[in-house]
Amino acid sequence: MRFIYKLPLRFRSLFRKTRVEQELSEELRFHLEKLIEENVAKGLAAEEARYTALRELGGMEQIKEECRDMRRVNYIENFIQDLRYGLRMLVRNPGFTAVAVVTLGLGIGVNTTIFSFVEGFLLRQPPVKDPARVMMLCSVDPKGDFMPDKAPVSAPDFLEWRSETNSYSGMAAAAFDSFTLSGSVAPERVPAGQVSADYFRVLGVAPLRGRDFAPDEDQLGHAKVVLISENLWQQRFGSDPRTIGQTLKIDGEDYTVIGVVPSRFRIWIFPAQLWIPLDFKPGQLGSEGRKDHFLNVFARLKAGVSQVQAHAELATIAQRLAAQYPESNKGWGANVVALEKYMADMSNTRPAVSVLMAAVIFVLLIACSNLANLLLARNTSRQREFAIRAALGAGRLRLARQLLSECMLLSLAGAGLGLAISVVSLDLLRTQLNWNEFAFLLAQEVHIDKSVLLFTLAVSVLAALTFGLAPALQISRSGPAAGLKENSRTTSAGHEHRRMQNFLVVGELALSLILLVGASLFVRSFIDELRVPPGFNPDHLLTASVSLSGTRYKDPARRAAFVQNMLRELESSPEVQSAALTRHLPFQFPWSISFAVEGQPGVAPKEQPSAGHFLISPNYFHTTQIPLLEGREFTQSDHAGSPPVVIVNEAFARKYFPKENPLGRHIKISRGQQTAPWSEIVGVTANIKEFSGQTAPRPHLFEPLLQEPSETVKIIVRTRGDPTAFSESLRRAVFTVDKDQAITLFRTMNKVIQDSAQGDDIMAELMATFAGLALLIATVGVYGLLAYLVGRRTQEFGVRMALGAPRSEIVRLVMRGTTFLIVIGAGIGFLVSLALPRLFAASFTGFHVSSAAILIGAPAIVVLVAMVACYIPARRASKVDPMVALRYE
Amino acid sequence: MSKPTDLVQGTLDLLILKTIALEPMHGWGIAQRIRQVSKEVLQVNQGALYPALHRLEQSGWIKAKWGESDHNRRAKYYALTAAGRKYLEQEESNWKRLSTAIGLVLETAE
Repeated sequence: MRFIYKLPLRFRSLFRKTRVEQELSEELRFHLEKLIEENVAKGLAAEEARYTALRELGGMEQIKEECRDMRRVNYIENFIQDLRYGLRMLVRNPGFTAVAVVTLGLGIGVNTTIFSFVEGFLLRQPPVKDPARVMMLCSVDPKGDFMPDKAPVSAPDFLEWRSETNSYSGMAAAAFDSFTLSGSVAPERVPAGQVSADYFRVLGVAPLRGRDFAPDEDQLGHAKVVLISENLWQQRFGSDPRTIGQTLKIDGEDYTVIGVVPSRFRIWIFPAQLWIPLDFKPGQLGSEGRKDHFLNVFARLKAGVSQVQAHAELATIAQRLAAQYPESNKGWGANVVALEKYMADMSNTRPAVSVLMAAVIFVLLIACSNLANLLLARNTSRQREFAIRAALGAGRLRLARQLLSECMLLSLAGAGLGLAISVVSLDLLRTQLNWNEFAFLLAQEVHIDKSVLLFTLAVSVLAALTFGLAPALQISRSGPAAGLKENSRTTSAGHEHRRMQNFLVVGELALSLILLVGASLFVRSFIDELRVPPGFNPDHLLTASVSLSGTRYKDPARRAAFVQNMLRELESSPEVQSAALTRHLPFQFPWSISFAVEGQPGVAPKEQPSAGHFLISPNYFHTTQIPLLEGREFTQSDHAGSPPVVIVNEAFARKYFPKENPLGRHIKISRGQQTAPWSEIVGVTANIKEFSGQTAPRPHLFEPLLQEPSETVKIIVRTRGDPTAFSESLRRAVFTVDKDQAITLFRTMNKVIQDSAQGDDIMAELMATFAGLALLIATVGVYGLLAYLVGRRTQEFGVRMALGAPRSEIVRLVMRGTTFLIVIGAGIGFLVSLALPRLFAASFTGFHVSSAAILIGAPAIVVLVAMVACYIPARRASKVDPMVALRYE
Repeated sequence: MSKPTDLVQGTLDLLILKTIALEPMHGWGIAQRIRQVSKEVLQVNQGALYPALHRLEQSGWIKAKWGESDHNRRAKYYALTAAGRKYLEQEESNWKRLSTAIGLVLETAE
């Protein structure tokens, strides 16, 4: 019931403040008058009565203050008052405010950007229901060298796992590949998945339209149905609802569209635009099938079952299978990996992520130290103000609260700026993600992460709080009297503050040096990569990809015919200088193949040497302008009926025929047949690079496409004019040869090289940005701090100059203390960064950089910049007129 | 700001509430009345009185009204609210119990 009285009171206190104050004054005045009356009645003179009364009453103001306290809306009032005061203080020192806000903004903005980027790109939670319960079941390959514990699974193994295990509420298998989509649309190669009927159910994804696969639709002989992605639906079918029920040709066979899968379902290591049921052919289920590992198995843990339990169960089953089918399964184990971890490991981005995170933390630390320094420096000068307020009765809490609100204002401003920066830079970054189609898809996923925003906000607030509140604590410890005595005439800053500031300066410089060294290493490595010539002439080269799959090209002769027809068609075009076909482009990793060398003792197939294996058409070396050192190119006469021939590269020749000319010698290529013919070496070519960071060339051997036509070929065309302009003509040329053929991936050779860098350039850019940023913030910090401190000592300098000290003496005075700090900071940074080259080389493949220049140059830069930063204010201090300085307060 | 007698805050509240239970009074009057009735023993410190009054008002035990006092001067009169009256009863009985108990201890402790 009391609130009836309380509410109006609160209301009045808040909004009718003046009125309430007036009433309070009146009330106390009445009391005073009564007191005076009493004194007069006691016999005192009027004046004395008044004084006595006043004395008896005690401090009027204090009583009023206490009454105000009782009103309990004080907190809000005070808060608003603090805010206004804080705002005024900040506006009055625009330099300080600007530096603090910008520092904070940059630190937060960069942080948020990178975190959001990393999160969206690399650490994204898989877009399935309840991702923590979705596992990848993998085989463990006893002899594999690339991720042996995440090997794909064979079909019979999968089926047995599914029937024998109890830990999962659902298990589904998927095989991902590219298929040619044609029929009512122009032919196109799309990534696709062959999946179990309950694939989407296991992952918890419901179709946007239409229906999911029925449970029996992945059995052999069932109707051919397909689910398409929303993306495909929009782009190729214009989101037409009648698409459902239409027939599409996939690799030449008819499939009916039954549904659309929402676009947010995207497992980026297994991209797919359409899904067809996975039906196992009899050959895949037999004992041979057990050796064919091609399935990715997804499973959802049953409620209450842990990953460890599931793993144990699966491992036991794998052991039993190994014993049961020793020929195929011996030594093979099984592994249960969380989908998230699987995706992260597959993308092999851990080292890059760690480095980026470290860089981010460094920048944040530097920004916070800056802020801390600024706050400490500034608040030192406000000691006097605080002392006075404390003497006037402000409690410690009150002072702290006022400082708090100032810091909050700063933090909020900084955070606002940071948010703006991150929005802009994320947009910029997104446009950079274009090195392949995966990256582009991912770019769509990158946006500001709310948790990151909260994190950065928390950090900024914490930083501001910690250092903004320091002076309040200072006051309470030493008491107001000490503060009152403190002013510019005496020596500046308490010792504790000084030590803290020194520590921060040293820290900032060390951190920015480390960052600078790290970034330089990256940038240098990347530049080095680019500088090594690729070994051929990549200009004016257009490439495209064609797939000779499906029923029509089952016969190798048909494929060879395509190659010949294609060459003929292209060479007839006037814009074409020369053309060739190949299975792998330069700057793509070729597959390896084993072989035996004539005249050298035979060895078991597993022990045989291997080399990179290229399949090329005639004219390949002419088109790419890879120098032919000896012998000849392949010609049209090297076809299926003629004697098998190979060409090798220099590295191969040097390794296997070190003292002789390899021309005319023979090697036997192992293709799993019992009797393989010996191929004659007819040519030797120069080495080319396979990837940007390659330091030592690997042996390569080339076989004619006409003798071994592959199912995918790439077309390379050297054009007379601009290669990109030729794309349409190329498409038409392919169409002329085979109108059902899909052609994709038009890229110039230069783009291929660029793309193969796979984001190294972004890494280098990012790191460079970080280093630059760090250096900038640190420099501004040192400068700002010093300028401020020097400003505080202006009077002291005035005295010195008046006493006869020359200007250079002043400069030297200022520099002496800080130079010491700078050297210490640079020294610490230098020592730590000595470890960096080795660390990077261990974490990143192909990272070879000579670091001597960087390790000497970077500290030099940091020291130089810092010295300049403290020289400027020192010089300015020395330029001041001594009289002005003396009067400066 | 010395206090002639050490009055605990709660006790002061009790005295104030009791004093204005009979009739509404202004601050000065309350102090006078307490002094009178206690035979000059309890001298309420003005520095404590007004904050206490304001606090009681904020808590809703008493309500204030401006009125005319002698010589046509305006003064702020305080009166008990219904809740305040109940609170007073409660506190009064508490106090009685407490003082009885203390008395017992003081008498028997030798």
